[in-house]
Amino acid sequence: MDSSAVQTWALLILLAPLAGAIAAGVLGPGVLKGRSHWPVILGVGAAVLGAFKLFGLVRHGAHEGAHSVTVVLYQWFAAYEGKWFNVEVLVDPLTVIMLLVVTGVSLLVIIYSRDYMREDGQAVKGYERFFAYLGLFVFSMVALVLGGNFLLLYLGWEAVGLCSFLLIGFYYDKPAAAAAAKKAFLVNRIGDFGFGLGILLIYLTFGSLDFATVFDMAERGVAVSGDLSYGRVTAIALLLLCGAVGKSAQLPLHVWLPDAMEGPSPVSALIHAATMVTAGVYMIVRCGSIFAASPLAMTIVALIGGLTALFAASIALVQYDMKRILAYSTISQLGYMFLGLGVSAAGSAVFHLYTHAFFKALLFLAAGSVMHAMGGIIDIRKFGGLRRVLPWTYRTMFLGCLALAGFPLLSGFWSKDEIIHAAFTQDKFLGGLALLTAVMTAFYTFRMFFRAFFGTTRVPEGVHAHESGLWMLVPLFVLSIGAVFAGFVGVEVGHGGMLGLFRPHGAFHHFLEPVLTPFTHGGHEAHATLGHFQEFGLMYASAALSVFGIAVAYTLYVDSPMLAMIMRRVFPATHELLLNKYHVDEGYDRFIVRPLRSLGRFCAAIDEHLIDGLVWLVTAVPRLIGMLLRSIQQGSLQGYAASMMVGLAVLLAFVLWGVIS
Amino acid sequence: MNTSTYLSLLSPECCLLAGACLVWLVGVSRSAGIRASMAGLTLAVVAVAMFLAWRCPSPEAAAVMPGIRMTSLSEFVRWATLIVGALLLLANWRVPADREQGEYFGMMLCSMAGVSLTACSNDLIVLFFALELVSVPTYVMVALSRTHVRASESAVKYFFLGALAAAIMAYGFSFLYGVSGSTVLEGGAGQSLAKYFAGDASWGPFALIGLVLAFSGLAFKVAAAPFHAYAADVYEGAASPLTAFLGFIPKLAGFTALIKLMAVCGWPAADGVSAPLMWMLWVVAALTMTVGNVLALLQHNVKRMLAYSSIAHSGYMLVGILVGPMWGTGPMRDGVAAVLFYIVVYGVMNLGAFAVLSNLSIKGEPAETLDDLAGLSRRAPLSAFAMAVCAFSLMGFPPTAGFIGKVYLFSGAFAAGETSLIVLAVIGVLNSAIGAAYYLKIASACYVREPVAEQSRTGGLTQSFVLAVCSLAMFCLFLRPNDLVRQARSATESVRTAGQASIARVDRGAVGIQPIAPSDDQEHAG
Repeated sequence: MDSSAVQTWALLILLAPLAGAIAAGVLGPGVLKGRSHWPVILGVGAAVLGAFKLFGLVRHGAHEGAHSVTVVLYQWFAAYEGKWFNVEVLVDPLTVIMLLVVTGVSLLVIIYSRDYMREDGQAVKGYERFFAYLGLFVFSMVALVLGGNFLLLYLGWEAVGLCSFLLIGFYYDKPAAAAAAKKAFLVNRIGDFGFGLGILLIYLTFGSLDFATVFDMAERGVAVSGDLSYGRVTAIALLLLCGAVGKSAQLPLHVWLPDAMEGPSPVSALIHAATMVTAGVYMIVRCGSIFAASPLAMTIVALIGGLTALFAASIALVQYDMKRILAYSTISQLGYMFLGLGVSAAGSAVFHLYTHAFFKALLFLAAGSVMHAMGGIIDIRKFGGLRRVLPWTYRTMFLGCLALAGFPLLSGFWSKDEIIHAAFTQDKFLGGLALLTAVMTAFYTFRMFFRAFFGTTRVPEGVHAHESGLWMLVPLFVLSIGAVFAGFVGVEVGHGGMLGLFRPHGAFHHFLEPVLTPFTHGGHEAHATLGHFQEFGLMYASAALSVFGIAVAYTLYVDSPMLAMIMRRVFPATHELLLNKYHVDEGYDRFIVRPLRSLGRFCAAIDEHLIDGLVWLVTAVPRLIGMLLRSIQQGSLQGYAASMMVGLAVLLAFVLWGVIS
Repeated sequence: MNTSTYLSLLSPECCLLAGACLVWLVGVSRSAGIRASMAGLTLAVVAVAMFLAWRCPSPEAAAVMPGIRMTSLSEFVRWATLIVGALLLLANWRVPADREQGEYFGMMLCSMAGVSLTACSNDLIVLFFALELVSVPTYVMVALSRTHVRASESAVKYFFLGALAAAIMAYGFSFLYGVSGSTVLEGGAGQSLAKYFAGDASWGPFALIGLVLAFSGLAFKVAAAPFHAYAADVYEGAASPLTAFLGFIPKLAGFTALIKLMAVCGWPAADGVSAPLMWMLWVVAALTMTVGNVLALLQHNVKRMLAYSSIAHSGYMLVGILVGPMWGTGPMRDGVAAVLFYIVVYGVMNLGAFAVLSNLSIKGEPAETLDDLAGLSRRAPLSAFAMAVCAFSLMGFPPTAGFIGKVYLFSGAFAAGETSLIVLAVIGVLNSAIGAAYYLKIASACYVREPVAEQSRTGGLTQSFVLAVCSLAMFCLFLRPNDLVRQARSATESVRTAGQASIARVDRGAVGIQPIAPSDDQEHAG
């Protein structure tokens, strides 16, 4: 690959969104005002261009056998022994796929926000701030993805966390939003603490933070001091996983993501569905050499993923807030990705990440469109039958829901099926979890869809419902095209398979393959162990389950709504438990937050009474000296001169005494 | 050794001094308009000096001349003076009254020329005069900077104490001349101080007395304990932009002279003949950091707080001086390069903080206390942001240049591997933590507290420009410190080779530490 071209385009991808953000932030309040979206749209647009260009370069390079290139932009910071921390970018197939997803979805969401962040044609308060934050987020996210060592990865990681905090709390005068921002930040801190420790341990183990050096050493099983022990590599993998669990909202650190829906809908679509939350998946794929070296860590990744997928899907069954349903669905789908990683199907996990970005961003944006039309109300009990009121939102959302439900031939179907498949190959239990989740997914998605768009038309009082403008609809159209067709880059047209035409593992996987060697070496080949019938049988089974879930939702919410009521009556305890999200928040509050708060109060009391007293005592000494000196020295020239001479005498005495003795 | 060689080597300094005369002459013009435009003329003089510095022959080409010796160090100091000096000039744009502009800015040019000459000097007498050329104009500037009676008071104090320090230093120089029989610092065919100290039986009591006295005079310039007492009063009395000037220019001169002096006597080490001097420096560094920070903690007046913090920063930089320039490859091991990097960063961040203060006035009085800054983010968000950036940088917090500077300073001490230096670095890190307490007070006053007083902006365009440059520079030097580090690193080459004791120390260092290979500086690779 031509590294100077890579450098140019990588710099463009990094700097254009940043420049847009700065322009929006600096010029926004005074000059641009309601036009503050333009610099950010232009900046991110340039980044999209750069991402496509890099994609071309990497494809070209892959033909020549050079699939990855590291470009050192400059040396940043010296460490001991002549080592340097560099500002460097790593460009390989994984990077460019992430870049395309991140910049592409970002651009659409930013275009969408132009209208969404307006009320009656007037820009809302903080309009320029919103776009500046979005630009900053895109910069941080591409920096995370492009960074060529763990230090830059960590910086990007923290920066996206900061942007997420700022954007969740965008409506900072709303207490719920401020609390949600704080919660997201604090829960992420727990994960990031582990992540930071993991990076320190990597430095101690491998003596470097460069991806190239670290992964090479991990694959060869060597450390700075002799061989790499299994315990050490497992510890590193688990600490890294800790960070991934926090950022990707997996059990048990998932609690922040549903609350993060207090942020504006475009933020939910971009940061809390399509891009930032997938950083954990990206990181694990990137660190494949470390994870693959520890089967225990891989098993834990798979278990966390499978359990999270089922757990979050079950909560989503009974929620009423459209965005929260989607949030739980995001957690559940991220669980799928973790499951895929854990069973060494990293290619499928990244494929799911890619298709998920389309349909989940679409769903959130469509939900935002509903919310916009309903005057900020998003509770599916308060409206219904919107398909006549919001015809385009209805159509696009339908496609998004089909994709999420895994309806055959749509994007979500292909990627999800691959993961289910890989899970079954590895372990029947994990496969069962994945299949059960699939049917639940289909059900809750269409429960939400039918309640919102079918039945008699009801809108909240005093709301003039209206379809959104083109600024919002065009991104929806583009994303729904993606939701329907994006999956086809990951399948192969050929004999056998679905409808006798499609078989999994297509161009997408081949493109990604060079990055995934650590997984394929250590893991299992999905196709080798399952028979032909099982392989495609599973595919038909998951398609049938998806249709079954949709059908059940139709029966319960469109055909005979009484049944749903009866179900709720029959299983009140289950319904209650799910509605309250398994009481996880309450549990954390009782067993973690409150004890910590008591500890905090205790520490504060010690600080106030003991430490402050000590500090007072310590500062009393110079104060005392000061008071003693004040009589001679306060403002008096002679006093200052005298103190200088005394000081000089002491120094001379000190030195000469040293010579004599 | 003809005059024209001198002129071409020292053309920037000559330009500054000639410019000073010009500004003085034109500054007494009858026309009020001309009198009021002296700041612009001064800026033009600095620009010409920069041009001449750019055209100047590089130090390799320059031989040792009587009285001066051009090295990479002098080039670094010259550029630091001119660039930061230009920023200081912009910040001081509106400080003097119109009719006093000529005098004030002429003095400023003299002071800048003095710093540059300090770095060029190769003779005790030239060094002494250069240092006084730095100091004497600052006394006048303090008096001119404000009409307030405190300004006159602090000018008088500053003058008398400065004169005392100069006398001490001159006395010390005379001892050095007495023991060595030469005033030449190093180089040349004849006797020089470097040759004297490279000899074996050189560290007698009289040499030590001379060094201690000379060091004490320089300690006054950098406001190191126990010669720091004047700093708070003088800084408080002067106008805020001038305080930023006082915090950088004399300090740069003092540290430059200190580096030269230490190079001449071969970088004192913890054992051997120079041990008493090393231990004295150690005590002074520890004391300076601690005294500065503890006293700053007690202040409510931001100017006094920053004055004491300025003392503390001198203490941090003394750590770098003690580490010395030759602990191995890469800037992490070069204490003197760390000092040079840090002092430039310090000058800029200190200027930023004072420029914010001078940008504000409370009922016609300049802002001084924490109450005056309270709630600044609501009145002037950009000023508040600049203040926060500079406060964080002074604190040594990422992502600002102050962080990089402190890392280089302290890690040099850790890398040296000597217990005494490690202890000193630990004291420095603890002191940084104390420092955080009062810097955070400044930042939180700007952002968290409710406004107490009615603030109004007084600064002009130039001051806003200075603010923007200073806070941007803090980020840029964090993101890409390497260019400045490389300059600082090459500046220490001349002091690395000076003296014989240093070579002995390198040999000793080779036991515990990697030996030094001056040519394989890794930073040149990228």
